[in-house]
Amino acid sequence: MTITLIEESFATHTDGLSVLETKQIRPITGIVEIEDLTSSSDGMSDLEVTSEELNDEELQYTSGSIPKLQFRKDTSKARWNAEMGMAKVIEKNGKMWITIGIVRRGKLYCTIEETLFLAEIGAHHLLDVGDTTLFLKDLYEKVAEGKSGCCWETFKVYRHLKSLGYIVGRYGVPWTMKSNNGCNSALQGTTKTSAVSDIYLPNSKFRKSPPGDPSFMLYVTRAYPPSRNEIEELERKCNGIPLKFSHVDHG
Amino acid sequence: MGPRWKGKDSEARALAEPMSEIVQQLQSCLIHSKTRGLLLGCSVLLGAGADCMDLLIRACFGQPIITAEKDKQWFELSLEESFYLFHSLRCLEIAGEDKRLKNEDEIWQYIISKKPAFPYFYKAYSHLRDKNWVVRSGFQYGVDFVAYHYHPALVHSEYAILVLSEGSDDVNGRLNVWSDLKCMVRLCGSVVKTLLVLRINRSDGYLAVSPLCLEKCNVEEYTITRWNPEQCREEKTINKRTGFLFMCSVCRMVSRACNNNAKMRVGDVKYQEEIAQDNGQRHNADPEEEKEKLEKLKF
Repeated sequence: MTITLIEESFATHTDGLSVLETKQIRPITGIVEIEDLTSSSDGMSDLEVTSEELNDEELQYTSGSIPKLQFRKDTSKARWNAEMGMAKVIEKNGKMWITIGIVRRGKLYCTIEETLFLAEIGAHHLLDVGDTTLFLKDLYEKVAEGKSGCCWETFKVYRHLKSLGYIVGRYGVPWTMKSNNGCNSALQGTTKTSAVSDIYLPNSKFRKSPPGDPSFMLYVTRAYPPSRNEIEELERKCNGIPLKFSHVDHG
Repeated sequence: MGPRWKGKDSEARALAEPMSEIVQQLQSCLIHSKTRGLLLGCSVLLGAGADCMDLLIRACFGQPIITAEKDKQWFELSLEESFYLFHSLRCLEIAGEDKRLKNEDEIWQYIISKKPAFPYFYKAYSHLRDKNWVVRSGFQYGVDFVAYHYHPALVHSEYAILVLSEGSDDVNGRLNVWSDLKCMVRLCGSVVKTLLVLRINRSDGYLAVSPLCLEKCNVEEYTITRWNPEQCREEKTINKRTGFLFMCSVCRMVSRACNNNAKMRVGDVKYQEEIAQDNGQRHNADPEEEKEKLEKLKF
């Protein structure tokens, strides 16, 4: 079984999916389009597998077949700031920064989900305050701590959509802010966990200033489907922008 | 319906290397390497070296996370999988967000807080795993689990599993109306699986109190399949549309002896074929004959 590896700045690909093909990605999220799993015939006979095989079960690895990602462009460098719950970018390389990171007073910061995503694909080298390298283990532990505004389920949704080329931002967190007014509160807002994200379709012409309205907003649900009240409240927040819900399966 | 193998050599490979042996090797490897998992939301992450990585894949625990890190392979395990390694196989330690190792009660309380119905799902999961079935999430099919004879790379899953509990606090709310039952049977037919229901019966008290409660409950297994009277009148079956009558067969599968004192890891593939073939006759089986059959399969 072969898998296409993520190579470089996926965000610049307009077709949105030039990397892992959808059918090869383990469907860890169920975004609300229900697949038609029944056969098209009205007969009650048990038909042989058709649609099952295409999207069968999970992506199955056998020994020795797990691919390793290799980021080809020069890696960037960032330093983690525990108080802010974000990483400040020190060296910026590659085009991926067009669609990742928020700009505050001319400096570029990335959220825990952006930081972890880039670390997983080897796109940046992350340092701690004392210039010690932070590894994936350290970042997973930071997500577990829950102080940086993103839980594991939200990160999985983020990673899944980013891998497909979508542009993902946190709801209520502006991509850029030039002035000092409200700057601190905007940064502090990043440590509170929010289940809502602004999603833009893959777009090579995306700009952080101004980004325009998102293509849709996404709410990461918990154990149960959303209630009618929840849906109505979220729709009010969305202000006319389409809303989707995702559910993350475990195991 | 027997197992649907993928490819010509798959069955032979499965017979040559039973899942029970692979799981035992994984158990030793994890103990030896003192691997520890990290509780993260409703998952457990663990970083495995080369040996354990290979066995985790072959034994089908967790999903690998594709990263650029070279010296370690990260896996994401479900709560059931990780608790099975921790509690049943005693080969994994688990830490929390404070990086401190958690004891059994702490892990249990954490898991229950995330998933109150976990004891029932875990009982079902461990019940099947102990019998060497490979058990994975059934999310894609709207069921709780799917069960494979062997590694999913070599065989399609045979059973789609729903976990039910007795009494008014039914944890799943499934199969309470005919429309749900019909929907599930139809779906399972379309994806060539048999609907298997595992009913977890507790002898006293709610299961969530502590892991010890798991020992006190038992599992009833039964399959639900559609029965088409038009097709069963003759030797040869005729495919015709049925009317609006919906009939189904409920086949009780008497659970093989899998008591807590002696976990038997019998000849995996052949053993499971036996279950599949004679599940319709289980309730009439002679217990002495059963025991003899079981003895012969052991290795």
